[in-house]
Amino acid sequence: MDPQFEHRANLTRRAFFGRSALGVGTAALASLLDGDGARAAAASASRQGLPGLPHFAPKAKRVIYLFQNGAPSHVDLFDYKPMLAKWRGKQIPESVQAGKRLSSMTSGQTQRPVLPEITKFARHGASGAWVSDFMPRTAAMADDLCFIHGMHTEQVNHAPAISFFMSGAEQPGRPTIGSWLTYGLGSETQELPAFVAMTSRDKEASCGQIFYDFYWGSGFLPSKFQGVKFRGNGDPVLYLSNPDGMSRQVRRAMLDGLGAMNEAALADYGDPEIATRIAQYEMAYRMQASVPELTDLSQEPEHVLAMYGPDVRRQGSYAYNCLMARRLAERGVRFVQLMHAGWDQHRNLNTQLKIQCTDTDAPSAALVQDLKQRGLLEDTLVIWGGEFGRTPFLQGKIEETKTWGRDHHPYAFSIWMAGGGIKPGISYGRSDEFGYSAVEDKVHVHDFQATLLHLLGIDHERLTYKFQGRYFRLTDVHGTVVKGILA
Amino acid sequence: MARVEKTSRSIQSPVASNWAKWIALVLMLAGPMLAHAATPAARPVVFDRDVLPILSDNCFHCHGPDAARREGDLRLDERDAALRKTDPVIVPGHADASKLVRRVLSRDPDEIMPPPGSHRSLSPEEKTLLARWVDQGAGWSRHWAYETPQRPQLAKVKNTHWARGPIDRFVLARLEAEGFEPSPEASKETLIRRVTLDLTGLPPTLAEIDTFVADPSPDAYERLVDRLLASPRYGERMAWDWLDAARYADTNGYQGDNVRTMWPWRDWVIGQLNANMPWDRFTVEQLAGDLLPDAQTGDQLATAFLRNHMINGEGGRIAEENRVEYVMDQAETVATVWLGVTLTCCRCHDHKFDPFTQRDYYGLFAFFNQTSVEGKGGSGQTAPVVDLANDAQRKERARLAAEYKRLADLVGKRETVLRDAAASQKDGKYASTLPSLIESALRKGPGDRTEPNRQELIKHFSKSQPEYVALLGQLEAARKARSSYSSSMPQVMVMDVRKQPRETFVLTRGAYDKPAEKVSAAVPASLPPLGKTDKIDRLALARWLVDARHPLTARVTVNRWWQTFFGTGLVKTAEDFGVQGERPSHPELLDWLATELIATGWNPKAIQRQIVTSSTYRQSSKVSAALVERDPENRLLGRGPRYRLPAWMIRDQALAASGLLVEQLGGPPVKPYQPEGIWEEATFGKITYQQDQGDALYRRSLYIFWRRIVGPTMFFDVASRQACTVKTARTNTPLHALVTLNDITYAEAARALAQRVLQTVGSTPQARIEMAFRSCTGRRPTERELGLMTKSLKRFDDLYRHDRAAAERLISIGESPRDKKLNASEHAAYAALCSLILNLDETLSKQ
Repeated sequence: MDPQFEHRANLTRRAFFGRSALGVGTAALASLLDGDGARAAAASASRQGLPGLPHFAPKAKRVIYLFQNGAPSHVDLFDYKPMLAKWRGKQIPESVQAGKRLSSMTSGQTQRPVLPEITKFARHGASGAWVSDFMPRTAAMADDLCFIHGMHTEQVNHAPAISFFMSGAEQPGRPTIGSWLTYGLGSETQELPAFVAMTSRDKEASCGQIFYDFYWGSGFLPSKFQGVKFRGNGDPVLYLSNPDGMSRQVRRAMLDGLGAMNEAALADYGDPEIATRIAQYEMAYRMQASVPELTDLSQEPEHVLAMYGPDVRRQGSYAYNCLMARRLAERGVRFVQLMHAGWDQHRNLNTQLKIQCTDTDAPSAALVQDLKQRGLLEDTLVIWGGEFGRTPFLQGKIEETKTWGRDHHPYAFSIWMAGGGIKPGISYGRSDEFGYSAVEDKVHVHDFQATLLHLLGIDHERLTYKFQGRYFRLTDVHGTVVKGILA
Repeated sequence: MARVEKTSRSIQSPVASNWAKWIALVLMLAGPMLAHAATPAARPVVFDRDVLPILSDNCFHCHGPDAARREGDLRLDERDAALRKTDPVIVPGHADASKLVRRVLSRDPDEIMPPPGSHRSLSPEEKTLLARWVDQGAGWSRHWAYETPQRPQLAKVKNTHWARGPIDRFVLARLEAEGFEPSPEASKETLIRRVTLDLTGLPPTLAEIDTFVADPSPDAYERLVDRLLASPRYGERMAWDWLDAARYADTNGYQGDNVRTMWPWRDWVIGQLNANMPWDRFTVEQLAGDLLPDAQTGDQLATAFLRNHMINGEGGRIAEENRVEYVMDQAETVATVWLGVTLTCCRCHDHKFDPFTQRDYYGLFAFFNQTSVEGKGGSGQTAPVVDLANDAQRKERARLAAEYKRLADLVGKRETVLRDAAASQKDGKYASTLPSLIESALRKGPGDRTEPNRQELIKHFSKSQPEYVALLGQLEAARKARSSYSSSMPQVMVMDVRKQPRETFVLTRGAYDKPAEKVSAAVPASLPPLGKTDKIDRLALARWLVDARHPLTARVTVNRWWQTFFGTGLVKTAEDFGVQGERPSHPELLDWLATELIATGWNPKAIQRQIVTSSTYRQSSKVSAALVERDPENRLLGRGPRYRLPAWMIRDQALAASGLLVEQLGGPPVKPYQPEGIWEEATFGKITYQQDQGDALYRRSLYIFWRRIVGPTMFFDVASRQACTVKTARTNTPLHALVTLNDITYAEAARALAQRVLQTVGSTPQARIEMAFRSCTGRRPTERELGLMTKSLKRFDDLYRHDRAAAERLISIGESPRDKKLNASEHAAYAALCSLILNLDETLSKQ
């Protein structure tokens, strides 16, 4: 697709408004913009996807991406490597490393002693998936999840690697997954943004990873496709509340007057943009009601809240955001990008990783379980994963257990996926015996992206946007759909 | 009327414009778009207009400039290769004998071009066109944008009264050819608002409107334009677009997102735009001011343009990787701003469509590869810098540095004592009884240790050595005082030349650590050569860009200005003049403006004056349904521009209309109202937003502090200021409406405007409503509008009369003082009405 098609869609919209306004007359428009008519007008202004999309029947209608910023340690959580214990404290063999590039934090470190998992692993469920005991709730859901162990990426630093995952490029400036989806497929809600981002971090604030707004940016796509950041405090949506002293009644009176004035201008001037403006303001008014409804948890049963753990009532926590993700999914939001920082254990692996898991394990698992019990998991794709993995060797000194750490590691790591079109209860792909390099059924970031789009009914090679003379796509010029994980 | 033009180039009939695209569009819309388009068969095919776009879009990917990806040893982007004699694919004059035509027309999936796997396909019209082009002799020419613009002859027009100048002649000729008439001139109220917003970014005052409307002289409008061009507000308005292009911001971006002090460069830009510095000089100073003979501080300051790129201070980053990234950003920014081409893809491979090779890329890269920048660290004042601190500031800086050093020495001595006390000699070896973590933290010394090191020391010694721990606290305070003072001093990052020239290599796949063949600084081979120069350096490059024969610079520049006034450039893809970019809607007009720019000695105001005084610009923007349908985007320019103002201009307008605006030129950035917790949430509480007070709240948007990782929240559809942007989108989302309805700035502007009308005018509601409405739209309301607003006012009045507490709260928003003598309920009702007016489509739009 390209702007030519978008232009055509706009044109249809303009013609619609144009004829309504000037052919049928303003009285007709006024009635059209009342009640259902206003909704129809708003819909045509906002929800259209591209013609011809989806390319084929989708398995998933929406996505919840639980992004774990900072890079969770795969060898401590999901990728069990008995070999590590045998090599404990010994220099990792040169043959395993094969001259691969490391972050400058450990590239100068000559000693790279192997560090086995810091906790116990066990097999879980009928599928027998290996999961560490730091993640008991996730382990209990193992038969609903698909673990991918052959992930690999190209970047060793956080921001470029996250950008690479979200947008297919290491530098900021490309549209992110959620923007591509809303651009291509449009929106199924008229009261909420189609693409929502939420962020949280560990309570100890152990790491300084920043959430850049380009993680949910629209790049060169029009900015209406960028993710709307729901905030962790105050109004979830910026500027949502009326000014102090302006009641909803006054606001309504004001919008009535504004609408009448704009309609008069439309009759006089004929610019269809004015009709869009009227719809835009009415949508803002509805959003002012629908967002507080969204965040009102008073109707959630106690046992559901309990599933998500003790932090669920704290706005801005990972648990709260997981619950919010389910509520957004129920309301037709296309892409929920939930980002949680605190996985960057360079020197606090032994103290912090467990806390980090405790904070996130129950909410992640509860979300899958909650979606499942509501029948939403069938067409909702849930993804859990970070931007890369962590070194199977130690960062620090083996005798100083308190400051043990692992450095950034792009050559092998694990993520899991569940729901909409994903084969449940399997482990796909494999890293070598040290968890150092992906060796079997490898999944590159572009393959992951191609698969994600595929599940939503999109051929990743055909969802393109022409910018600066080139047809861009999420997967650049790469990417193969990972057939082995499709249900 | 304009002078008589001579031209060496034949003029193509404006009728013959891009018909292939139009036809495709017509078919797509299944309805008549332009009923007056000429019939296809009657028109000769023009290669660079009709054929090249098809070849480029569908064939160049595999048969284009990129040698590495070329299939079947065939390239179609160069004449000799495409029309090769051995194994020919095109036989001029004989479509039926041409393999290219046969493959394109084929229905066999193994035969057809482009192949099914490419996801490209030709429409029947495009196929026919290719065949006709071959039949007509397969004429060839280069892409229009890579040929030096020639002065076109003025177009012939039927309506001889309408055109005021050359611009109008070209626009009218096209309109007449398409069967349109221009729109009538806009009213004087509309015109003064339009042109005042366009040239100063602010609305006209009521007095200015009255004066202009009452001025019957025939040159009243021209004199208005001259007044606006001479206003210091002009430079502030024009600077915004340049700051977008220059990716200007007040922080580095990335983790840490340290503050930088580049604002003296921003003030330099405003000053030069106001002084109307010739555009060639403006170019040379910013790209190579430091290399000018007898360069002054100001000349070097100008080169901060190139250093506005982001700086990555993330731990673990490799310095050389950063440095290479910065140089790439500089080269690509220059390419987009002056050449109107995107070279990013050439980091890794030859361009797929345009005649630029990977080698060309690194040739351009080499010009910028010679500074002393090393890529280390995340300071926002990384050398080389121009230090603009005054004497008093220097003194204070030295004092704080001395204080830090004094305390550091004290701490150092104390630590030596601590270490000695814990030391023992065993077998001639030094050993310490301190934990190794503490010992190693101490060994590093106060200047080099990390914050965790410091915390460990505090923890370890807090009981045993309280004085030492207190000293550590003092030292940290002194360090912070020194660095925060020093980083608030304006030190602007600029360009220089390192002593030892750096070698430049083609980088395999753009990777800093994969150098391939060595290259030297050179301009792209497909563009005119560098010309005679002693040294091949940035200065030579800058001078080459503004050489009168350069095919791109002048065109790209006037096109951006056209975009400033009409919302869309003559070339819609302002960022891409290459083969894949959109062709100009009015090629002769573009070339006329480009050659005119050069003929005026690169005089920006002269060109902009020509544009805004044209009949084209002065047209009414009213539009009929038929016109909307036939030319929805106004590419034919048969009406005046009408579109939503940029978000920053909407804010400035609200401040101006309400009387809150503080007109003060330049200086450090300001921090106005922002919802709580934005910076804190983005930085995990590391960076706190400290809102300014007083005048700073009411400065123009241009001066608002721009934190790169989380930009000002009250703007929408703005450039990210992370990479060069020469065109921003205009979209409509409910979130935009929420800003202008609810942001404190707008709520305060509404109540201030209400106060103004209540204070200024007598007691009739009608006069008050009129004044508020005029302050925002520039015109008097119609009877109908007046009736509607009176009705709204009455509703607000009813609501606030019964809720005085709410009224008090509404009119207390913001920090400007309010007139307590005014009746609160009445004031609040008017504030609600003013908010309504500030949100009218007409207020938000230029029309």
